[in-house]
Amino acid sequence: MTKPVDLVQGTLDMLILKTLALEPAHGWAIAQRIRQVSKNVLQVNQGALYPALHRLEQQAWIKSEWGESENNRRAKYYSLTKAGRKYLEEEQANWERLSAAIGLVMNIA
Amino acid sequence: MRLTTKIWLRLRSLFHRDTVDTELDAELRFHLEHQIAENIAAGMSPEQARTAAIREFGGVDQLREECSDMRNVSWLQDFVQDIHYGLRILRKSPGFTAIAVLTLALGIGANTAIFSLVDSALLRALPVSDPQSLMLFQWTAHSSPHHFSYSNYGDCDDRTGETNPVGCSFSQPMFNDLRARADAFSSMAAFAGGEGLDLAGNGAATRVDSPEYVSGDYFQTLGIRPFAGRLIGSADDAPTASPVLVLSYNYWRTNFGGSPSAVGKTIFLNKVPFTIVGVAEPKFDALSPGNPIDLWLPLSAVSRIEVPWDNRDADFNDWWLLIVGRLKPGVARTQAQSAVGTIFFNEVVHSAKPVLKPEDAPSILLVPSQKGLTGYSTDVSAPLYVLMCAVGVVLLIVCANVAGLLLSRATARQKEFALRFALGARRGRVVRQLFTESLLLSLAGGALGILFARWAAQGISAFIDASLENSMAFNPHIDGRVLAFTAAVSILTGMIFGLAPALRGMRVDLTPALKEGSGASAPPVHRGARWFSAANTLVVAQVALTMIVLVAAGLLVRTLANLKSVDPGFDTRNILTFRIDPTLIGYKRPELDTFYAGLQERLAAIPGVTSVSYSWRPLLGGGLWTTDFHLPGTPKDQSADADMLPVGSGFFETMRIPLRLGRQFTSQDFDQAARVGEVLDAEQQRVAAAVKTSPAAAAEQNKDAAADLPPTPAIVNEAFIRKYFPEINPLGAPFGAHGVDDSNPTSNPGWEIVGVVGDAKYSRLRRDVAPTIYVPSSGRAVCFTLRAGIEPLSLVPQIRSIVGQMDSNLPIFMIRTETQQIDRQLFVERLIARLSSFFGLLALVLACIGLYGLLSYEVSRRTREIGIRMALGANPADVLRMVIRQGIALAAVGAVIGIVVALGITRFLGSMLYNVKAGDPLTFTGVAVLIAAVAVFACYLPARRATRVDPLVALRYE
Repeated sequence: MTKPVDLVQGTLDMLILKTLALEPAHGWAIAQRIRQVSKNVLQVNQGALYPALHRLEQQAWIKSEWGESENNRRAKYYSLTKAGRKYLEEEQANWERLSAAIGLVMNIA
Repeated sequence: MRLTTKIWLRLRSLFHRDTVDTELDAELRFHLEHQIAENIAAGMSPEQARTAAIREFGGVDQLREECSDMRNVSWLQDFVQDIHYGLRILRKSPGFTAIAVLTLALGIGANTAIFSLVDSALLRALPVSDPQSLMLFQWTAHSSPHHFSYSNYGDCDDRTGETNPVGCSFSQPMFNDLRARADAFSSMAAFAGGEGLDLAGNGAATRVDSPEYVSGDYFQTLGIRPFAGRLIGSADDAPTASPVLVLSYNYWRTNFGGSPSAVGKTIFLNKVPFTIVGVAEPKFDALSPGNPIDLWLPLSAVSRIEVPWDNRDADFNDWWLLIVGRLKPGVARTQAQSAVGTIFFNEVVHSAKPVLKPEDAPSILLVPSQKGLTGYSTDVSAPLYVLMCAVGVVLLIVCANVAGLLLSRATARQKEFALRFALGARRGRVVRQLFTESLLLSLAGGALGILFARWAAQGISAFIDASLENSMAFNPHIDGRVLAFTAAVSILTGMIFGLAPALRGMRVDLTPALKEGSGASAPPVHRGARWFSAANTLVVAQVALTMIVLVAAGLLVRTLANLKSVDPGFDTRNILTFRIDPTLIGYKRPELDTFYAGLQERLAAIPGVTSVSYSWRPLLGGGLWTTDFHLPGTPKDQSADADMLPVGSGFFETMRIPLRLGRQFTSQDFDQAARVGEVLDAEQQRVAAAVKTSPAAAAEQNKDAAADLPPTPAIVNEAFIRKYFPEINPLGAPFGAHGVDDSNPTSNPGWEIVGVVGDAKYSRLRRDVAPTIYVPSSGRAVCFTLRAGIEPLSLVPQIRSIVGQMDSNLPIFMIRTETQQIDRQLFVERLIARLSSFFGLLALVLACIGLYGLLSYEVSRRTREIGIRMALGANPADVLRMVIRQGIALAAVGAVIGIVVALGITRFLGSMLYNVKAGDPLTFTGVAVLIAAVAVFACYLPARRATRVDPLVALRYE
């Protein structure tokens, strides 16, 4: 198994927002989902995850509320705000432009 | 929405820190449990699973800190912590804190007080709705229009009679045309001040000093609302409309007791009935600042009140109205400007009697009304800005002073900083701490300064009230704007003086600073370096700045002294003046002249009165009449100019102006003047009436109506003789006669010199005595002058009763002694001399404290060195000299720099000075001596302390 890659600088926010765009989730579930969807390539470290969540909340892109988890435990659920959804769209567009551009450069040879 | 969420979250993180932390713990615990569950599912034992999960998780505390950082509150928490710490530090040294806060309070308070003055006089927004879209019309051309009449009541800064003149007055027909044809404006209004009016029908007859005539759409254009009743409307401004007026709120309060029944009342202005229809809202006391209006009348009232210039409404050549227009939304100023400019050009160049030629390029400038309507503020703006600069310099001195204090403390606190750095504090963090302390000091100083400023503003108000009758013009008070200014100044001040200790704090050298006791034995710095130390520089700066303020203050004080000691050419003591205007209530020649003669006789009979006379205006009252005349023997189109003052009999004896040649006026002279006056008045009325019907024909009809009259006798002053009759015997010489021509609609028989008197000041002390013609007064409003052998103000009740007995409808006004008259005229000079010398002394005291503080610190720092010197045999006199030499050297360097800078900038005072040059050596020397004396005093105390150092104690110290 190859080693999980470190996240590209600045992409964590986008990944979190994208994950939350599907449905509200708690911190653990966000990390799991990113790992599963990326087929174990992207590993989100909790030391980075929680500060990121707090930062996003501070920016009012996500909001949090306490709810019941699947195993009936109290868990903090994060969901996307309207502003967050807009921001995600911008970020996604930017990302696509950027990765397409990088692809072009890398394919020249 | 997003913003409020953010603020809410931040506040929550800050003030509910416990809740936030508990929630974070719960969240992390939840995550941890999931991890453990997964580990167990992967086959670990519960014990192993737990350990592995915790290991993977890393430091919980660190994570918690990071989350808190992300919530963006750590800087705030640090800030709160800094404030707590700063307060503790300041509390620990109350002496230092008290001195610093007090110094700052003086500096900031002085700035606040002067700013409140500047704000009230110069910076207030016009009291109208949407001032930005309200434009003032100004005309400009390459040469002055050829007018019959041009007037300006001080609303805007007219520069007529110069090349490229600019002015704000227009004729009423011009206003009507502009209003009818300019479609860039949603509305347009005209207004003009007027001569005082006599008001009857509301108790005793009084005088209305400041009436204003306004067009019917004036209030609507400005967006003013009535406080009671209604305002003047378009329907009121018609010759047939019933006469109405609107009172200002203040006039209503003071003269009608604020009674609601005033609205609807009928009063008499110059004996013409007017109905009061309303009171304007309180905030609107005048459109232009500084000259509050008493009441407003429609323009149509001008012809009703029968003021002498009666055909203003129809005369294209009588320019007297100011025009403001409200731009339509979306119309550019320049676009509107060229549109009205074209109309103006055609009127003044192509009318029946053009006043300008096409090559003069007459045009109109639209100026935002806030900028154009300067009013009274033009007189005071220069002195006020000088004061603002003076207090600004004082504040710089305060900054230098407090910076010096903080610097010596920063040196003493080096160990503390070194310890903090050693423990891993970032430099930025420590600097922030220092700035927080500085800000705490300056804000405390600002808060205290507001108290000082309140006292100062009250003092200034009281001074203004005592000096000016119209004190509402100029009323400093502390309000929101001023407080905002104070807050900004405080913060800025804190930043400036906080810079020095902050920079010092960053330069801490760890090792020596942490070593025990190194603070007390001065590190062996070589001499050159010490001379340029920050502390020395600050003291030098303080002395230099003080020098500048003191020199400026000295020049202004000398100006006032010079003005007060000017010989006005007459005796100013024990003179009482008062004014009456019987023409307003219908007196005409010859009853008027008889009335004055009777009044003069009765006033002279009052016990204690030495002599009585009268003149058109009082001497040194500010009023001035200048005239052009033709001097025989010069080319026909060349004119000479002189001041003119109509006087009553006995004027020169009463004023004690000496007669040099010839004789005084006799009663025959007055009869002669009355005859000429009657003919000329009739002539003028006839021409005015003719102008209304056919302007072009008017000049043709009255050839030489006055040509048969003999010249009027005149007495001139010595300046007149020096300029116009230097060689020949002037007695009997005629001058000033002219027939009817282009520039003169009526002829004039001229004057003949019957006497010569000594030079005397006419309108203002600052104005040099000009050639002056005194003529016998006849048929006009006058100012009576009484010379008394007793305190002149005690005569007022008797004067009132005598005037009242002669005509109960005649108000007397502007009762003043000549001394009051002069004080009033020198009001601005007195205010600025007083305030600037106060600020000069303040600066001196501050610089003195600064020098004293530095030397005291030096002495205490060098205790050990001084002890060694004394142990080695230096005697106290040597030590004394050493310390004083250092202080004097600093003061000398500062003074020299100050002199150089002051020489450069005092010339900006130029126009405010009188009989003293900007580089006046006496003032500079005086100030330098003063500073030297104070510096010696400031050095002496620490120096004496140095001589008391006991070598034994000093060496054991540490």
